[in-house]
Amino acid sequence: MNQTLAIAINTFKETVRDRILAVIVLFALAMIIASLWLASLSLGQGMRMMRDFGLVAVSLFGLIVAVFVAGNLVHKEVEKRTVFVLFSKPVGRSEFIWGKFLGLAATMFVVVAGMGLFLLVIIWLVAHVLLGSLIVATLLTFVQLAVVMAVTLFFSTFTSAILASVLGVCVFAAGQLSTNVLALSRVGHSALLKGLSWVVFLLVPNLTAIDVKGALAGEGGAHWSTIGGWTAYLLAYIVLCLVGAALVFRRKEF
Amino acid sequence: MLRKVGLVALVVLCGAAVVGFQSTRHQAGLGNPRVFVPAPTVYEKLGGSFTVPVADAYWLYTIQYYGEHVNADHRLDSLPALLNLVTGLSPHFTQAYFFGAFALLDAGRADLGYHLLLRGYAANPRDWHFPFYLGFFVYTFGKGAQKDQIAAEYYAQAAKLPGHLPSVPRLAADLYQKGHDREKAIMMWAQVYGQGDKYSREKAVAALDQLLPRDKTARMKAVAALRDLMTPAEFNDFIADIFKGYY
Repeated sequence: MNQTLAIAINTFKETVRDRILAVIVLFALAMIIASLWLASLSLGQGMRMMRDFGLVAVSLFGLIVAVFVAGNLVHKEVEKRTVFVLFSKPVGRSEFIWGKFLGLAATMFVVVAGMGLFLLVIIWLVAHVLLGSLIVATLLTFVQLAVVMAVTLFFSTFTSAILASVLGVCVFAAGQLSTNVLALSRVGHSALLKGLSWVVFLLVPNLTAIDVKGALAGEGGAHWSTIGGWTAYLLAYIVLCLVGAALVFRRKEF
Repeated sequence: MLRKVGLVALVVLCGAAVVGFQSTRHQAGLGNPRVFVPAPTVYEKLGGSFTVPVADAYWLYTIQYYGEHVNADHRLDSLPALLNLVTGLSPHFTQAYFFGAFALLDAGRADLGYHLLLRGYAANPRDWHFPFYLGFFVYTFGKGAQKDQIAAEYYAQAAKLPGHLPSVPRLAADLYQKGHDREKAIMMWAQVYGQGDKYSREKAVAALDQLLPRDKTARMKAVAALRDLMTPAEFNDFIADIFKGYY
């Protein structure tokens, strides 16, 4: 436990200092400010535009951070050979994976919370409204991105960093469409197709069980119990990915 | 030295090419009034959790499309499809219905505006604005002997919903009565002015200019009777717009 925590703290310090992270966050903040300009073109719908496009910026820039940093996390340690020093000490491989994930999750939390807070302040300054629901939406976006991070970390244990990042983006996109896969499993008469669709539906993380951005705009809002259930599902998915990553990483030879 | 001059000349040439190309784009003229608009189902299936931001993006595009064509070539061919897309992706986006219903008047499609409001009412049954505008559309653009009755029923529905204007029950009551058509129409358009965005306000001012007396004193008297249909700030704007040509 102590080893995991030590690795997590170290990973957090390492990733939070990353210059690329700072550049991405700056771009996201610029996008959020740019939503002010869109707001001025929206015929009285300024707050809606700021809120929705701001949250899109948080999601997409958070995704970039999630996949590129998570994809590189393990490979960097191997390339720099610091992993050998680490494993010469009483540190297990699963502790390494969990520590890396928790450290990156802490960084991601700081990044997403920072962007969300910035958006909240901008909206408050412009419209004099403090949107509590925006905080909930930002937290749920963080949980979604944590899933993408865990999946990317899992891929990075057996593929290259770039491929893991690309696969992470693909899983994010597939996660947006998972309900379509479920619909596919209900059409047609082929039992094989139905079975395959069902398996894909189970494998791909369901990132749209609650439409976070839609709920913020008053479309299809969700009850707290549904939000709780979905969050629990995503956390369970993260655990499965990390267990899988630890199993693969345990068999890896350096 | 020659190399430096050559480099500067190359930079100037490339800069001129960039500026020249972009400045001619600016003069390219009006866009095509018939634009490709996908069906809402496309984004419903493929948009995932980005469906509402897509609706927002199309909302911005719809306003630009309308603004570009309404006073230029008067071609709003794709407006119904754009409004259908925005409201299909975000059924609770009430402003899109209200703007759309009045914008469709410029496309000569009051019928589509009415049906857009009907869809909006079905999706937002607790919003009093929908029966209010439906009543207005039926009264102003409807045909047949029953139109006053139907419009009055819509206003009566609006009067039962929370947040309605105090003047809505009065409108319903007036519509149930026979005659006084000009007075009723003036009241309706004044209500539209009070509740509308800048485009519907423009339409209300144009319609009221035709309905109100030309004589300044008589016009002032008729306008004073509309004071309780809007807030004091709206009424001040209203006075300024209605008497624009008189000062």
